[in-house]
Amino acid sequence: MSNTREDKLMKRVFLSPAVIILLSLSVFPLLWSLGISFTDMQRGGSTTARQAAAAGITDGVGFLGLGFELTGRNYERLLGDGRLHSTVRNTMIYVFVGVTIQYLIGLGLATVLNQPFRGRNIVRVIFLMPMVMTPVAAAYTGRMFFDSNPLRSPLADFLRDFGKLIGLERGISAPWFTDIAWAPIAILIIDAWQWIPFMTLILLAGMQAIPEDIYEAARVDGANALQIFLRVTVPILLPISMTVILIRGLEIFKIIDVVVVTTGGGPGSATESLTLYIFEQALSNGNYGYASAIAYVLLILVIIFATLFLMAGRRLAGGGRE
Amino acid sequence: MMERRKQLPFPHRTSRRPLWQSALLYAIVIFWCFIVLFPFYWLATTSVKRPIDVSRGPNYIPYIDFQPIPDHWEEMFGTQRESTERHFRNSLVSAAGSTVLSVIIGAMAGYGLSRFKYYWGRLGWDNDNIAFWIISQRFLPPAIFIVPFVLLYNAFHLIDTYGGLIIAYTMFNIPFAVWIMRDFFNSLPVDLEESARVDGATRWGAFMRIVLPLSAPGLVAVAIFSFIFAWNEYLFALMLTNFNAITMPVLIAGQNNTRGIEWWFISALTLMAVVPVIIIGLLLERFITRGLTAGAVKG
Repeated sequence: MSNTREDKLMKRVFLSPAVIILLSLSVFPLLWSLGISFTDMQRGGSTTARQAAAAGITDGVGFLGLGFELTGRNYERLLGDGRLHSTVRNTMIYVFVGVTIQYLIGLGLATVLNQPFRGRNIVRVIFLMPMVMTPVAAAYTGRMFFDSNPLRSPLADFLRDFGKLIGLERGISAPWFTDIAWAPIAILIIDAWQWIPFMTLILLAGMQAIPEDIYEAARVDGANALQIFLRVTVPILLPISMTVILIRGLEIFKIIDVVVVTTGGGPGSATESLTLYIFEQALSNGNYGYASAIAYVLLILVIIFATLFLMAGRRLAGGGRE
Repeated sequence: MMERRKQLPFPHRTSRRPLWQSALLYAIVIFWCFIVLFPFYWLATTSVKRPIDVSRGPNYIPYIDFQPIPDHWEEMFGTQRESTERHFRNSLVSAAGSTVLSVIIGAMAGYGLSRFKYYWGRLGWDNDNIAFWIISQRFLPPAIFIVPFVLLYNAFHLIDTYGGLIIAYTMFNIPFAVWIMRDFFNSLPVDLEESARVDGATRWGAFMRIVLPLSAPGLVAVAIFSFIFAWNEYLFALMLTNFNAITMPVLIAGQNNTRGIEWWFISALTLMAVVPVIIIGLLLERFITRGLTAGAVKG
């Protein structure tokens, strides 16, 4: 039924809008920014164009008269940019530490939610709430909690009292957003609070798809609950675990809103993410060429991460089952 | 005996669980519910505190620790009314607009990839390759689009317009929409469409009248994700707007600079921005879980 003339036309009609939008708004900008990364383009022209204008030349300036010059300087500049290196490091910390925390807690909570208990449906809905919250809003809320003044923050108040309870004279006090060691931790916690539900819900769906007789067979063989969890549940969940970890990892590479709202990248550039740095270079400084070059660094990191991850996943899945 | 056990709320497993396990289970559940809900409670109470109660606290319980006042909400809907309404409307229009477009375009492409055989000769791509290419666009870092989008939007005068935001959000939402819808249509039997077409319906007619009504759950899932994404998006809203089209997240993030940190007012504003998505989340949780697990669970 799929070879009529109508179908040949409809086949294109159905797919074309999506493909055209992605080609013009995703593929084209991607290639364009690769081009821009090899130029000296800036907001309001380029260095070449400005110098030419100052010298009174208006026509035929730069590469093919386009008003900018081709250059590899942006990529040279990457190597010596200390701020870039620290943003790369911060982003990697957010991705690897963040994903690990979120996965482990998410797996634990999914295991809990997989048990039958009264009120489970309501609890599942409550667990979901942080995930739909606007990240900017979550970040502001986090900022209230990570205020280190116990007069303002319930968390600081709790930590102080808790510290006293366990015998510390002045309680526990953390200089969250003002200290280069603590600030990334606060950001990691806010992001984890928001996205653990994502891990939990998907892993829970995976657990619920495991047929009961597999567990039954393991019990008959005399396995205890921990053995069943480690030898049955975790291996079966491996493919879906790889998927959620990959998705979350790729999402954390994009982190910007939480950082902007809580620390603005500071203290110094201790919490600045790559996306935030690119944004600042492009829109605050107007360095279009350099911002594009950094964006390509980010893209390459993302591609390396995804590729290594998919390769590792394939090897693990292959070794586990076949 | 079997009959009776089936009617019990939780067959066989509950009876086996020792008491300490139940206690631990409930302890974890209650603890995590507290972790999730307390920040919302704190936002709500902060939004009705006097500034002095915010800075000389912490005050936990209204009427006991502090006297709640409606001033900040009144300010938001009084002196600040024009601003609140405008930003809320901006968020609503750009989220709703991109949701409609994403659902339509996503459903069409998803249907195409599910029912037709494509082959892009030059690339050697079949349906699976095309679907993978589409979903991979979702994971490109948005930072890479900053410079080209600013140049493009300046050239087409799209900066600070609804249209501009709607176009950008639609582009971001399409990959996921296609992915979910394709998965959904794959699980939908073709018989109904085929019999409709035997009865003389066109391909398009069958799609509109038979397929779409049957795919309501998938469409709802796509709509929810698109709406929540667009509603919550920050980077592009910040970059592509400067006054008229500024959305709620940008407004909230900007409170920092314009007014100093007035936690009470920010809390009210934040709740305002969060309420629509939370309501959607609470009412439509089933669809969200279903959409999230499309593809992911099956591998």
